[in-house]
Amino acid sequence: MVDESRKLRGNVEGNARALAKAFKYLVEPNRMTLDYPAESMKLGPNYRGFFTVDDKKCIGCSMCEMICPPEAITMVPRIVSPTGETLPAEQGAKQEPGAKAAKKTKRPVVNWGRCIFCYFCFEICPVDAFIRSNVHDLAFYNDADYRPSYEEFLKLPEEPVKNSKKVIPKPDMKRGIKYEPAP
Amino acid sequence: MMGLLPLIIWLIQDLLYLIVFPGLIVALILVIVLIYLERKIAAKVQMRFGPLYVSRKIGGALQSVADLLRFSFQEFIAPNGSDSLAFIMAPGLMFAFALMPLIFIPVGPYYSYLFPSALTILFSVALITVRPIYEIIVGWASDNKFSFIGSLREAFLVISYEIPMFLSVISMLIIYRTLNYMPAVAFQEAHLPGIILNPIAAIVFLIVAIRSTGRFPFDITEADSELVMGLFTEYTALFFGIGMATPYVELYVFSLIFSLLFLGGWSPLPYHATGLIAGLFLPGIVVIIKSFIVMTVLVFLRAVYPRYRVDQAIRAGWERIIYLSIIAVIISILEAMVIW
Repeated sequence: MVDESRKLRGNVEGNARALAKAFKYLVEPNRMTLDYPAESMKLGPNYRGFFTVDDKKCIGCSMCEMICPPEAITMVPRIVSPTGETLPAEQGAKQEPGAKAAKKTKRPVVNWGRCIFCYFCFEICPVDAFIRSNVHDLAFYNDADYRPSYEEFLKLPEEPVKNSKKVIPKPDMKRGIKYEPAP
Repeated sequence: MMGLLPLIIWLIQDLLYLIVFPGLIVALILVIVLIYLERKIAAKVQMRFGPLYVSRKIGGALQSVADLLRFSFQEFIAPNGSDSLAFIMAPGLMFAFALMPLIFIPVGPYYSYLFPSALTILFSVALITVRPIYEIIVGWASDNKFSFIGSLREAFLVISYEIPMFLSVISMLIIYRTLNYMPAVAFQEAHLPGIILNPIAAIVFLIVAIRSTGRFPFDITEADSELVMGLFTEYTALFFGIGMATPYVELYVFSLIFSLLFLGGWSPLPYHATGLIAGLFLPGIVVIIKSFIVMTVLVFLRAVYPRYRVDQAIRAGWERIIYLSIIAVIISILEAMVIW
């Protein structure tokens, strides 16, 4: 009997406390969610977003292809043009039919559907040819768009959300997370 | 010929009572507002934003309207194995029977001229109990195991919670000594509101209202994580919209009954008033504001409670709520002996 009454009191008390807590949150809401397109997170200098490769720096050593854990990187055959940039293999063959054999090389292309953004390719690259960016919020319409050609891969994607307020998350003892406007 | 015109005016007023003022249109507007409020309240408590994208400047207030439009223009599909007549008829009848108790719920003294009846409480509470039959038909006609399990759960829960509902209403009837809402409101105006006279009956009635309308923690019949969408898994288009709106309409009915039986009806306003404005609209607005507050409190529970398992809910019904309602009846008998 004593146990039952204590249990009942505990139930009533627990329910009242839960309701009071919910009412407190209702009156002064404590939002953890970022209002994404209107405000977005300011990302750090080492954020692992979409990346590309510097065509002139790359030496075509295929180390990135070797280290890539999900096998997202494939090497495409290229030909070095006189200006130092590379051309597609077929195009180069057409342009100089009788000339001395053009210098063959290879360049990496990333399949974005496979890439896990581990940046192992950045670490292993002997000439630091990869270029990083803070863009991480891209969407693709179909499967073919995931696999860019080398020319498409060379363009660093632009940030899709413009004019968004940049904020940085700050841990807060009372509210958990607080978003402050970025300096 | 002379007697015909008042009759026609009386009939038109009756129709307007059912369709416009406390009836269909007001109910639907309140449902749209309430669905928005429910989502927004739950989002605030759970540290989210809630609906925001449709009409961003006013906090996403048009989201419910957008949903309604979406449901209106969607294609309606009846599955091959379904019992098509019942599948199409049942949601509409369910909605109609959820709305029908409004005929017997007075929102002002003018009502006694519109629908002269001495048994309004009895009729309105009895009509509430018809809707679950159509819920069971919906589950059966869909030819879908999720719908069927949902309807079985509804059947179990109705059996467990119907008796406490009637007992809590009866315990108020014992105090008021009437089966009509008007003398009940008059009694509360003369003495005290019912919620002070018998708080336990009020609590039981609220719990039954939550159960009957499938609000949390009794969101058992359409438990999203277990039964996809419960009864309305197979429905699309406007029929799904009806299925979604019906519990809210029923919540409106329950809240009106609660505010009339326990919160003193149109209490701050005088009990006797004549004319359409003073006798129907002003008291009606007071009653609807009271019941809207009750509805908001009930949907607020969504943010707090998790879902009961079906056996827990049934056990709570038979082992706790029914005793509470019997205690409420005993309190009422004692009070009635003192008062009368």
